[in-house]
Amino acid sequence: MRRPVYQSLLIYVGLVAVTLFFIGPIYWFWALSLRSPTSAFAQPPEFFFQPTLAAFKYTFVDPGVNATQLKSSLIVGLGGTLLNLPFSMTAAYALSRFRMRAKAGLMMWYISLLMAPPIVFLIPYFILMSRLKLRGTYASMIILSLTITIPLSIWLLKSFFDDVPVDIEEAAQVDGASFLQAMRHITLPLSLPGIIVTSMFAFVFTWNNTVFPLVLSNQRTSTLPIGTLNYFATTGVTWNYIAATAVVTMIPPMIVFLVLGRYIVRGLTFGAVKG
Amino acid sequence: MGSRKIPRKFMPYLWVLPSIIVLAGLIVYPLFFSLTNSFRLWNLATSPNPLGFVGLGNYRQVFQTTPFTDALRNTLLLAFIGTFIEFWFGVGIALLLNSHVKGNALVRALLIMPTTIAPIVAGFLFRYMYYERGGLITWLLTTVHFPVPIQGLLGSATTALASVALADIWQWTPFFAIVLYAGLLSIPEDVIEAAIVDGASGVRMFIWITLPSISRTAIIVIMIRFMQLFNMFDLVLVLTRGGPGTASRTLSFNLYQAGLVDYNIGVAAAMTWLIVIIVTILINAYARVAFRNWEW
Repeated sequence: MRRPVYQSLLIYVGLVAVTLFFIGPIYWFWALSLRSPTSAFAQPPEFFFQPTLAAFKYTFVDPGVNATQLKSSLIVGLGGTLLNLPFSMTAAYALSRFRMRAKAGLMMWYISLLMAPPIVFLIPYFILMSRLKLRGTYASMIILSLTITIPLSIWLLKSFFDDVPVDIEEAAQVDGASFLQAMRHITLPLSLPGIIVTSMFAFVFTWNNTVFPLVLSNQRTSTLPIGTLNYFATTGVTWNYIAATAVVTMIPPMIVFLVLGRYIVRGLTFGAVKG
Repeated sequence: MGSRKIPRKFMPYLWVLPSIIVLAGLIVYPLFFSLTNSFRLWNLATSPNPLGFVGLGNYRQVFQTTPFTDALRNTLLLAFIGTFIEFWFGVGIALLLNSHVKGNALVRALLIMPTTIAPIVAGFLFRYMYYERGGLITWLLTTVHFPVPIQGLLGSATTALASVALADIWQWTPFFAIVLYAGLLSIPEDVIEAAIVDGASGVRMFIWITLPSISRTAIIVIMIRFMQLFNMFDLVLVLTRGGPGTASRTLSFNLYQAGLVDYNIGVAAAMTWLIVIIVTILINAYARVAFRNWEW
């Protein structure tokens, strides 16, 4: 089917407008991180300016106020992802492979945890972690992030395990492999890409989380999102520093999504839509 | 395999048990804590420990000393209107993408970027653009003679909530667009061809073929997004802190304010239970519809 020229033209105009609307604000903030303080609030806004790396130098190199927060973000993100895997992999495997009477109920329970307001957990844990002298530790943030990473990973991993045909596993068992051997040598290797995709999503969800570190971190352990907020709390907001810190916060999730490509739909819908 | 055999019927439950223990442990504690303290007088600013039993006093306080009903109204407005706009805007973009012109893949890769960034960062993007003097959005609106309030878009009670909503619409419309586009791809070619042969118009095809075939996907994503909007916190924290007055205060922010700003643990605990009850009703009602006839 060939489309009339004017129709193609309209589609292109639409797509360009849409892209500008959604990418414009990101570009504008990246630009802010490269501006001098005088250019940041120029009236009218300056579309062309002399870029400078001063804000990145201040925030991450010298004196590097936010460099430790980058480290904290990585520790909490990787910790929350890795610690979740033993729990979610076993559960997802069982939910994918066995007939269980409580399966629907369990799956609904997991997803309802994902949709619960995280703020509800916060005040009790603020007090508990203070009393246990755990407030300000990475452990407190990593443990609480499990309330997100475990249900997310169970849903996602189950969808990936579902994709590996049971027949292959059964064939191996007929050939004398035990159930555990079949799982270790067949299902796990075949679903390795799924496990990696799931881990990447769990990492992004933990990385982007602000609510838990907001009250559980201290100056030494605060993560990047808290770093941006800290600039905001002080008087005389330094927007260039906020932007530089925010740009560094944005980059890892963006890379993950570029790499994930066709798995984005599945990840964002917790495996409910396969895409 | 080992000699001790667990009955096959119970084995799957053994495998899910660790996850249930961890998650139940993590959520039972805060719920129990909130339940017991919702009946006690406890303000961290005056006492490190709970004082006396006050019956339902804290529950009354939720309505008398915090703008709970305003927050509930704002939250419902945000959730319903936000989901509605994001969904239909997303449908429009998905249809545009479905025309498969050259450069489609590039547009999709760029389009999803707002969804990848932390909500708190999205908040900063918009706070900067909303700035009264020199902010990009304020400047654009002024240029087209839109009456921008003198207190700024975030400082005026009439525009604050809408400004928070716009930031969320910007961040999450791509989510709908990308997921619904994947739904459109799954419509079989021959169904579309048959409809064209039958002389179906664009509008009729959209209503009778396109919409029904993406409805299953749509119900799931609408549920996810509605609840995320209902829990809205990060954007409010950066953009307005619920102000001016209570104009953009959401339930989550109201709870944060009571517990971690005013340190009124008793009242916050009571509010926690009110929110838990509302959320449980919403999720259960919706999940029943969304996962009806679902193959597990």
